[in-house]
Amino acid sequence: MSGGDVPAVRIEGLGKVFDGRIRALADINLTVREKEFLVVLGLSGSGKSTLLRCINRLVDATEGHVWIFGEEITAATGARLRELRRQVAMIFQQFNVVRRHSALINVLSGTLGRASLLPSLFLKFSQDDRERAVAALERVGLGGREHHRADTLSGGQQQRVAIARALLQEPKLILADEPVASLDPALRHSVMRHIEALNREEGLTVICSLHDVDLVRRYATRVVALRDGRLVWQGAPDELNRYTYREIYGTEAEPATNTVM
Amino acid sequence: MDDRAAALILAFAWNLFSSWIGASPGRALVRGVPRWEQDLDWNRTLRGWFTVLFIELTFFSGWLITEVDLPSFFTKFSKASDIVRGLVHPSGVVLHQGLVLLVQTVFLAFMATAFAIPLAFVLSFAAARNLTRSSRFSRVMYTAVRTGMNFTRAVEPLVWALIFISWVGIGPFAGVLALWVHSIAALTKLYSESVESIDPGPMEAITATGAGTFQVLRYGVVPQIIPPYLSFTIYRWDINVRMSTIIGFVGGGGIGYILKPRVDLGEWGQVGTLVLLIAVTVWLMDLVSAKIRERIV
Ligand SMILES: Nc1ncnc2c1ncn2[C@@H]1O[C@H](COP(=O)(O)OP(=O)(O)O)[C@@H](O)[C@H]1O
Ligand SMILES: [Mg+2]
Repeated sequence: MSGGDVPAVRIEGLGKVFDGRIRALADINLTVREKEFLVVLGLSGSGKSTLLRCINRLVDATEGHVWIFGEEITAATGARLRELRRQVAMIFQQFNVVRRHSALINVLSGTLGRASLLPSLFLKFSQDDRERAVAALERVGLGGREHHRADTLSGGQQQRVAIARALLQEPKLILADEPVASLDPALRHSVMRHIEALNREEGLTVICSLHDVDLVRRYATRVVALRDGRLVWQGAPDELNRYTYREIYGTEAEPATNTVM
Repeated sequence: MDDRAAALILAFAWNLFSSWIGASPGRALVRGVPRWEQDLDWNRTLRGWFTVLFIELTFFSGWLITEVDLPSFFTKFSKASDIVRGLVHPSGVVLHQGLVLLVQTVFLAFMATAFAIPLAFVLSFAAARNLTRSSRFSRVMYTAVRTGMNFTRAVEPLVWALIFISWVGIGPFAGVLALWVHSIAALTKLYSESVESIDPGPMEAITATGAGTFQVLRYGVVPQIIPPYLSFTIYRWDINVRMSTIIGFVGGGGIGYILKPRVDLGEWGQVGTLVLLIAVTVWLMDLVSAKIRERIV
């Protein structure tokens, strides 16, 4: 990081305890530079989702601070909080598209942070936004599907609708929480490719949790690993090997046999 | 046979029956039975004996309080056979008036339901636990709405009808208002339960775009609750038709309004006609509402 650059995300002393007793995160310190493709690794239950959700405040941390492009989101409320959220798009493992809405309306809902309130409550959007939504669907390979209801689309198509929704949000940061874990392995690259394009072509910062080591090597520019809510490892994707793997997943874990490490 | 003797014999028979099927009232009803007692038969513990005694006393006093009169039940059927004869030989005299009031009955139920929908829709968000966790204000609102609705629901529509009759006068509008109030409470409860069972995923996704509260509700919640809301609303209309057939008994309009005097006068043929009309309507509503709801869900 060259001096004076504002990091995309800065996290200090972040901790989260659910219901006063379940500790999900402890003392996380992490800085993510602009245009990084940061992958978060960890077993399920290690705190990946909680970490990502603390960044856009879908979950409120119990300790610590988070800054987004220099502004503290953990201190923001009301309109200020929504303003900061607008800069951060999220992609979910379960897609979370609105099933009974068309693909087009789903994509347009990405603009809700800046759309005018009353028309948006009647599903009305500006012509300009509608054209951009059509283009975004085209871009993720769903041209011509604008008026298909989301629940008639396959999982991979729904996730691409969610990516187009993120595009319309015009964010500076993308949080992707296991974006391909619910998809057929054969389809994973078709979704990851689009997230990669946002990173490479649009210059967006990406923070993405993943399971599959092959995907990590292919897409990450940097890797951090969580274990029991703590950051236990950071490094470059090509530093992942049998030994670091044990460090991340514990001594009982073995890399999948077909994975060359 | 003396009533009291009959009650005692029945209670004793029940007692024998329950111990025979192995249901031990002492253990089932009393919490915190000490370990050493749990393996014993009920009739081997003092607690077991007292519990059985208590149940028998309740049954016995209930028999006296409700003036159970088995001899009348078994020997005086002939008096009621007039009604049965009336049902089998309905009179055509009230057919026309009955049909007109039947239409009024169905519309009374419809208007009560229609007026209740918008209010229940708005209140259901305030009465859903999953939407009211975030702020102190919303938690207070939740408790207030829930308490108010539980109270409103606890008062029977017939009682509401009496209140509204003294307010707007005898007639179908009083019935509409009575069923309206009761329906708001009932629909709010049903609606809010379907809000509570939505998938939170889309709500989170919309929140993450920087959308405001109303947009999150419109995009993340409303699309998910429309099918159950439609289904509950039709179900409520169905129930309201049933209720509006008797709301006329106290002056709330509908077919019950002419049924009551005919019962009092013993016009059993006319009563028979009206009862048959009600039965057919309720049966049809039931059928139609079940069919529609089947298609929605
Ligand atoms: N809403 C919640 N309420 C209570 N506990 C939660 C909640 N969300 C997550 N947790 C707990 O926090 C820990 C971390 O969960 P999560 O962040 O979902 O991990 P991951 O995404 O790595 O699987 C787990 O022990 C999980 O059970
Ligand atoms: Mg997770």
